[in-house]
Amino acid sequence: MTGITEGTYEKLKILADSAKFDVSCSTSGTARKNNGRIGNAQMAGCCHSWSADGRCISLLKVLFTNDCVYNCEYCVNRRSADCRRAAFEPAELAALTIEFYKRNYIEGLFLSSAVAVSPDHTSERILASLRMLRRDFGFAGYIHAKIIPGTSPELVHAIGLEADRLSVNAELPCRSSLERLAPQKKPEHIFTPMKQITNTLIDRQALRGPGTMFKGLDINSGDSYLSSGAYGRDSDPLSPGGDLIPRPHKRIKESFAPAGQTTQMIIGASGETDQQIMKVSEKIYHTFKMKRVYFSAYIPMTDSPLLPGRNTSPPLAREHRLYQADWLLRFYGFSSDELFDERHPDLDPDLDPKITWALRNLHMFPMEVNRAGMNELLRIPGLGTLSALRIIRQRRICTVRYEDLKKMGVVLKRARHFLTCSGHYYGCTDFTPESIKNEILQADGGVQLSMFDTAAENMSTIYQLSGLKVPGIPAAPSQKAGGTV
Amino acid sequence: MIDYLYDGTFEGLLTCIYRHYYSEKASGIFTEDSYQSSLLSRYRVIDTDAGQASKVYEAVDKKISSYDLRRIYKTFRSSADEKEMKILRYVVMGFKRGSCISMLHGDPVVFAVQQAEKKVGNEAHRLKGLLRFSVLRGGVFYSRVEPDNDVLEFLAGHFCDRFRNDAFIIHDIKRRKALVARDGSWYISDMDTDAIPPADAEEKEFRRLWRLYFNTTAIRERTNPRCQKNFMPQRYWKNLTEMTCGPAGTDRR
Repeated sequence: MTGITEGTYEKLKILADSAKFDVSCSTSGTARKNNGRIGNAQMAGCCHSWSADGRCISLLKVLFTNDCVYNCEYCVNRRSADCRRAAFEPAELAALTIEFYKRNYIEGLFLSSAVAVSPDHTSERILASLRMLRRDFGFAGYIHAKIIPGTSPELVHAIGLEADRLSVNAELPCRSSLERLAPQKKPEHIFTPMKQITNTLIDRQALRGPGTMFKGLDINSGDSYLSSGAYGRDSDPLSPGGDLIPRPHKRIKESFAPAGQTTQMIIGASGETDQQIMKVSEKIYHTFKMKRVYFSAYIPMTDSPLLPGRNTSPPLAREHRLYQADWLLRFYGFSSDELFDERHPDLDPDLDPKITWALRNLHMFPMEVNRAGMNELLRIPGLGTLSALRIIRQRRICTVRYEDLKKMGVVLKRARHFLTCSGHYYGCTDFTPESIKNEILQADGGVQLSMFDTAAENMSTIYQLSGLKVPGIPAAPSQKAGGTV
Repeated sequence: MIDYLYDGTFEGLLTCIYRHYYSEKASGIFTEDSYQSSLLSRYRVIDTDAGQASKVYEAVDKKISSYDLRRIYKTFRSSADEKEMKILRYVVMGFKRGSCISMLHGDPVVFAVQQAEKKVGNEAHRLKGLLRFSVLRGGVFYSRVEPDNDVLEFLAGHFCDRFRNDAFIIHDIKRRKALVARDGSWYISDMDTDAIPPADAEEKEFRRLWRLYFNTTAIRERTNPRCQKNFMPQRYWKNLTEMTCGPAGTDRR
């Protein structure tokens, strides 16, 4: 047990507790055969356990140290917080990772850190740990490394050569919130490493975009990327990297962050609307061609006057809707403008964003499943990429009947209102947004119906929804957003 | 029409399919030990014939597709009811329709095989994560599993590559067999023993660290047991280090 000591237990307790609010735990995006002594990576990723909050555990997610010189208002590890501080030794962390990996507890390591002394000092320690893990221990499993804002380009590059995925936290969805809540983190310091990572990937023709968002485009080019920054103003034309970064080897094949980069932002801590949040994440996708933008519902841990009070419950339902909208951007060909209009800057808490969009655009429906193209099929609520592909495959050989749809994985209680099969319509009798909405809500059974029939003119449905928001918490949202929305 | 009984091997099932075409139509295919004869049905025990089996194997590969061959093999490893007849119907239909059979998603024959195959694939993937090794004295990794489907060999490639310099055993205690691997090569053998040495102090220490990590990383404000059970069904819990923990943190394994 080299490196593991008596104190490891306490350190793990402190440093895992400080890291638990980091969202990303994915291990997907790269496939690698064992090219070291132990370990490999699968394209689809692999979850190893699920903690009591329903979030998956696939990586050993820890901070290198939680001793921070910054004082961000929302953070549990801020300098003024009264909490126990600890730091791993590189050998200790590497040994712990390997021993956990051998027992198949984890798929790899997620290493982040608080800013001790300076960003560069911290990044050097992170780099030393990763190098030890890769070179001395021969670890070929998955590594996700956080880049600390303000780290020098040479260090970002060196960490990228060891890690599979890099991420820089955007922290908050807009510049003013960042200035208010995390005054020591400058937007430039966040976007410079993001840009450097994207540029390096473009340079090496190694960029793969998120889902179907860049379908048909050559994303390994800097075209769309140089025009605008993520916060709606041009990013500074900084040099993409320092002069000390070595050029890639001609003969030795080295990989730089093969699983790309991601970012995350806290929602519900500052006053942005859903529309602003989606706009920013869309811009981040387009500008930096990231794999994912993660959202983290703000959980009040401090008594700061700038933040929601201690008794505020975390906006989990809102986070769930945002993830659904995020899926629509990445895999369903939607743009953020389509999801909102002037009267609705927030997503509907009762219905998923795809249904809300469909109800606003009923003139496009119902669609004939035997004729609609892939992009059109993906617009039907209750149909996902898999079921749309199956419909298209079967269509080459024989007609798709209504009975077949369920077997293909279509969620009929939503989809039946928006499609026809060989000209037959199976949805509700009057084709209006209100009645379709009612039927879907009743089928979901999650929303209480009003006792008062206020809209007497619409007698086709007995139950009417109250215009008020239903009290109480909606059905527990699935923590892992995605699937068919 | 007659019921065929086979020895439970894939080759045995392929022999039954051969007989279905060349001697008498099958009304049912069963393994010998699970068969309950009735007054109304006749049955015949089929001896596995390597030649006949390989003829069917080749025919499925050539006339349907290698994708469908793999598909029926996965279905064969599932625990679906009457999987033998599902496979037979799929093969019969496949010989008529050719390789396009896998595109007929709405057809009940195809759907039945698709569902069974999906269960096997899903469970194999799930076990890649939900399997826990104990490092025994001498450095051999040992794991107990009780999967619903017979997925051992679908785990072999993944773990052999991952632990290519180590030796490991994945023990399916329900089916009394084990995947045994060393230095990147593997075989499957019967294993009917409880003679596994108890965990030593080092192993116990890592289990303790893992449980600590598991409990620490959960966010109390987001507690959602339904979601947890959805992703990690309770039937797997008894072989998971982090879920088999007594009230005082004692080890029940």
